[in-house]
Amino acid sequence: MGSRRSFVRKIVYLVLIAALLMPLYWLSKPATSAVKGEQGSPGGVLAQLRSKDHLSQTQLGQIDPGSVTIKLATLGLRGVAANILWEKANDFKMKKDWANFGATLNQITKVQPNFINVWSNQAWNLSYNISVEFDDFRQRYRWVIKGIEFLMDGMRYNQHQPRLQWDTGWFISHKIGKADEAKQFRKLFREDDDFNGSRPLAERDNWLVGKKWFEETVAMVERGDHILGKGPLLFRSDGPMCQMSYADNLEKDGTFGEVAKNAWAGAGREWQRYGTAEIPTSWKNEDTQTPVVIRLGEQEMHEEAARKLIKQIDAMEPGLREKLKAEKRAALSKAQREALDTPPEKRTGRQQELAFQAEAEVDVTHREVARRLSDKTRKAEALKLAKEAADHEQLASYISRYRDIVNYAYWRQRAQIEQSDGLLAARQIIHRGDQAYAEGDLINARKNYQRGFEGWRKVLDRYPSLVADESANESLTDSIKQYRRVLGQLDEPMPDKFILQDVVDAHLKSQGEEPKKKQEELPDAAK
Amino acid sequence: MVIDPKDVVPFLTWLLPALGSWLLVVMGVCVVVTAFGWLVAAMRHGPIRAFSITSHVFRNAWGDLVRMSPQRIWALARLAIHESIRRRVVVVFGVFIVVLLFAGWFLDPGSVDPARLYLDFVLTATSYLVLLLALFLSSLSLPTDLKNRTMYTVVTKPVRASEIVLGRIVGFMAVGTMLLVVMGAISYVFVERGLAHTHQLSADDLQPVEGSTPGQPATLQGKTSLVHQHRHKVIVTPSGQTSVETEQGHIHALTILKDGDKVSYKLGPAEGMLVARVPVYGKLTFRDRKGQLAAKGVNVGDEWTYRSFIEGGTLAACVWTFEGITPKQFPNGLPVEMNIEVFRTYKGEITKGVPGSLSVRNPSKPDNKPVEVRIFESKEFVPNSQHIPTQFQMPNGKRADLFRDFVDNGRIELWLQCVAPQQYFGAAQADLYLRAQNASFAWNFAKGYFGIWLQMLLIVVLGVLFSTFLSGPVAMLATLGALLGGFFNDFMYRLATGQTYGGGPFESLIRLWTQQNQTSPMEPGLQTTTAKALDQVAEYFLLGMSTILPDFSHFSFADYVACGFNISSDTLLTFTCRALAFALPVFLAAYFCLKNREIGK
Repeated sequence: MGSRRSFVRKIVYLVLIAALLMPLYWLSKPATSAVKGEQGSPGGVLAQLRSKDHLSQTQLGQIDPGSVTIKLATLGLRGVAANILWEKANDFKMKKDWANFGATLNQITKVQPNFINVWSNQAWNLSYNISVEFDDFRQRYRWVIKGIEFLMDGMRYNQHQPRLQWDTGWFISHKIGKADEAKQFRKLFREDDDFNGSRPLAERDNWLVGKKWFEETVAMVERGDHILGKGPLLFRSDGPMCQMSYADNLEKDGTFGEVAKNAWAGAGREWQRYGTAEIPTSWKNEDTQTPVVIRLGEQEMHEEAARKLIKQIDAMEPGLREKLKAEKRAALSKAQREALDTPPEKRTGRQQELAFQAEAEVDVTHREVARRLSDKTRKAEALKLAKEAADHEQLASYISRYRDIVNYAYWRQRAQIEQSDGLLAARQIIHRGDQAYAEGDLINARKNYQRGFEGWRKVLDRYPSLVADESANESLTDSIKQYRRVLGQLDEPMPDKFILQDVVDAHLKSQGEEPKKKQEELPDAAK
Repeated sequence: MVIDPKDVVPFLTWLLPALGSWLLVVMGVCVVVTAFGWLVAAMRHGPIRAFSITSHVFRNAWGDLVRMSPQRIWALARLAIHESIRRRVVVVFGVFIVVLLFAGWFLDPGSVDPARLYLDFVLTATSYLVLLLALFLSSLSLPTDLKNRTMYTVVTKPVRASEIVLGRIVGFMAVGTMLLVVMGAISYVFVERGLAHTHQLSADDLQPVEGSTPGQPATLQGKTSLVHQHRHKVIVTPSGQTSVETEQGHIHALTILKDGDKVSYKLGPAEGMLVARVPVYGKLTFRDRKGQLAAKGVNVGDEWTYRSFIEGGTLAACVWTFEGITPKQFPNGLPVEMNIEVFRTYKGEITKGVPGSLSVRNPSKPDNKPVEVRIFESKEFVPNSQHIPTQFQMPNGKRADLFRDFVDNGRIELWLQCVAPQQYFGAAQADLYLRAQNASFAWNFAKGYFGIWLQMLLIVVLGVLFSTFLSGPVAMLATLGALLGGFFNDFMYRLATGQTYGGGPFESLIRLWTQQNQTSPMEPGLQTTTAKALDQVAEYFLLGMSTILPDFSHFSFADYVACGFNISSDTLLTFTCRALAFALPVFLAAYFCLKNREIGK
C-alpha cells in the first residue's frame, strides 16, 4: 500500500514538473538563426523581448569573457558587488590612490558593463575631477584622455548608446578646448600620436575631432538609437558649434588667411545645414496631436509666405483691417486709450498693464478680416488664406523662440562676418601686436594695435551689432587692455578720442559700470 | 602610501612597554580563569577541595606543557598534513593557478602604477586563498576526527592534549607554509614576467630640440615605441649623454650603439618598478605662518585629513627631525625623497610647478635660522628626489659642512617650505624620508608573504581553539567571525567609540529602514531611546571584541611591497611578536578546552 502511494506521488510530481516545463519552454525557448535555407526561430517570449528591446549581449555590444566571468562569480549579487566597488572607488579617490581608483573603475565596468551611468559618470570623474588633482598640466592632460578612452571602452560594450559618443565629443571639444590650460592641452592633443593614431596632423584639432563625434551621435540617432536627456535642438547644434570654435581658436593660435577664412566658411555652411534639420518642438499639432516640426533656417520663409498671404487678404478689401482696428480702438476704455497713446518709456505701471491689455484687444486677426469681407463670395477663399497665414506666422514664431535658445541668428551672422577680409586682416594685425608685446617690442606692438583697431573700426561700422557683442569682440577688449599697458610702458596717455571708444563703453556697460569719458578707466582684470 | 606613524617605531622601543602590557593582560586573564575554575570546583566540591583540584589542574597543565615531546608533536603534525592532503589542499593551489591565468583580463598594464596593481593582486589573492584554507582545515579537523572516532586511535596512545593541539597547529602551518612558498614563487615569476618589457627607439624617432642651429650638433629628443600603453621621453645630448623620463614609476637604460656613421639605440629592461626602498623616517612637526610651533598645518578643504598644508611665502614649514644620521651611513650627503601635495589658490604659471625649498637646521641650535640648501619645483604623486650635499655654500657666502654644522648627535632638522605666496604644500610624516639604499626586492617580496604566514598562524590557532569545544560548522563560523572581526577591527573600534556616522548598530538599522541620513538627529521617543540603549550594550561588546581580536589588516605587508618600500626588520619583529603573543594564550586556551573534554583526559 505504502509503495503504491509513493509511486503515485512520484508520478504526480513528474506530471507537475512536465506541466511547469511547458510555460518555461514558452518563455525561455532560445532564438535560432536561419541556416542553409532553413528558417530560424524567433525563440520564446523572453528571446523575442530581448531582440525587440536590444537587450541581448550581442546586440548591446561586445561580449567580454572577463565581464561575464565576474558577473557569474558574483552569484547574483552583482548589485551588491557594484555598490561595494563604488564605495571603494570613492574611498580611493578621497585618499588620492589613483592606481587603485583606476583598477576599481575597471572592475565596476566588468560587473555592470551595460549601465551607462557607470561609463558616463566615471569618465567625467576621470577627465574633470581627477585630472584637476594633478599640478602638472601634462599629467592633467593624461587623465582627461583617460576619461575619454574610458568612454570609448564603454562604446564597445554599448553600441546603441549615443550618449557615450556625445560625451566623447564634449570631452574632446570642451574639456580640452575650454580648460584654463586650453592652449597647452590643445598642443598636447595635436602631438598625441597614441590617441590620434593615423589621423593627419591637419585634422588633429580637438574641436574638429569633437565635431566628428557629435556628427556620429547625430547619425546614430538618425539610425534609430535614443539619446536620453538631450533635446534635438541643442544636441544637433554641438557639431556646427565645434566648427565655429575651431575657426575661432585657429585665429587665437595665430592662423589667419585662407585657412581661417575657409574654417569660418565651413562653419557658416554647417550652421546653414543645421538650419535645415528637422527639429520636433514641444508644441503639438492641433489636428494630428504630433509634435510640430520646425527648421531653424525657415523663419524668413514663413514670414515671407505669411506676408504674401496677408497682402492677398488685404487686397480683397483694402482698408478693412484698419477699419476693424479703429473699431476695436473705439471700443477701448478711455484709460486704455490714454495708456496706448502714452510713449512706452513714459507709461506708469498701471498704464503698462492697460496698454498690454489694449494691444491684445485691438489686435485684428486675419480670420476676423476674412470674416468681415463685404464680398461674401470670396469669404471661403479668404478664410483659407487667413488660416494659412496664421499657420505660417505661428511657425515663424516657434522658430524664432527656438532660434533664441541657440542664438541662431547671431552665429549665422558671425560666421559670415568673420569670413570678411577686413576682419581677418584686423585680427591678424592685432595678433602681431600681441606677439610683439610678448617679445618686448613695444613700438611694434603699439603700431600693430593701432592698425588693427583701425581695421576693426571699419568692420564695426559695417556691422554695428558687433559693438556690444562681448563674445565676438572678447579678444578685442583684451587687446585694448594690452594696448593700454603698452602705452603705459611707453609713458604715453591713451588718446582722448580713442577709435574704439564705443566698444570700451559697451564693455563697461556690460560690467554694470557707467561709460567713462577716458579710456584709462577701462577695468583691468590684471590690475 | 599611507603609513601610520605608530608603525614606524623601533622594535626595542616598542617591545618593553608592549611586553609589560602583555604580561599584565595575560596575568589578569590567568587570575580570572583560575578564580572562575576555583569557583566552579568550590560549588561542586567545597572551597578546600576546590583549591586542591585547581592546583592539580595547573600541575597537570604544567606537566603537559613542559613535557611535550617534539617527536610526538611531529608525528601528530604529520597526521594533520596527511589529513590536509586527503582533504584536497591541492584544490586551493589549482584555484590559485586558474586565478593567475585569467588575471591578465583584469590587470591593466597601462595603469599609473602597474607594479602596485600586480603586487597588490598576487598578495591579496594568495592571502584570501590561504586564509580560507587555514580556516577550513583548522576548524573542521578535530570535530571531524571526533565524529569519525579516528581521534580515539590517537588518544589511546600516550599523547598529551597539549601535543594534540600543537601537533595540529604545526601540521596545518606546515601545509600552509608549503603552499605559501609555492604560491610565492609562482607569483614572483608572474609579476616579473607580467611587468617585464622594453621599448624600441630608432634614430628617426629623435628630432633636434627647438632652437637648434642647423648644421651644428644638436640635442635630440623624441619618444620610444608604445609598449604597455606608455612611451618614455628621451633626450640625447651632442656629447652622448642620455636621459629617459620616468613613466609608470620606471625608466630604461639607454645605450647608443655606433657602427661607423650609423647610430642606433637600445633600451634596457624596466628599472625601478620592482624596488624595495629603505626609508629613514623623521618626526614631523609644523610651523605656522609666523614661524611658531603648531600642532598641524592648514586644512585646505580636503575631506581626507592625512596631510596637513603649509602656506607659501610665509614662515610656515614642515619640519622633519631625523635621528641616527651619520657620515658613515650617508657619505655623499642626504638623499631626500618627497611625496608632497600641492594646493593652488590661484592658477599661477600653468606650465611650471610651484617652487619650494629644503633647508637644514641643527636641532641643538633652535635660535639659528634654517639654511636653505635646495630650491625645487613641485611634483605631485611621484617621488621627488632631492640631494643635500655634505659641503655647500650658505647664503652668507661661507662654506658649510652638513655633518659638522647641522648634525648634532645624529640629529638633524629638514625644513620644507613653499616659496610661492598663497600657494600651499601638503605633507604627512611619511611623505619625506631619506632614501638610504635599496633592499632586495625578492627578499622584500618574501617578507610580504611572511605577513600572510603570520595571518595564517592567527587563523590556525583560532580555528584549532574553536574546534576543541565546538562542532565543525559552528567552529568554522566562529573562526570566520574572528577573521572578519579581525579584518574590520578598526571599524569595530570606531563604531564602539562613537567615531562613525549614523550611531551604533541598532540606530543605523533604524536609519536604514526609515531611509534617514546619517547625520540628522533621531526623533526623540521610545524607539530612539531603546535603540540607543541597545547600542550601548552592543558597543561594549564591540569594544571587547576589537580589543581581543588581532587587527588582521595590520599584519598585511602588501602595501609596503606594492608601493616599493622595504619592510623593516623592526616592523617584521614587532608583528611576529604580536602574532606569537596572541597565538600563545590561544594555544593554552585550546589546550585547556581540549583537556576539559572527556577525550582529552
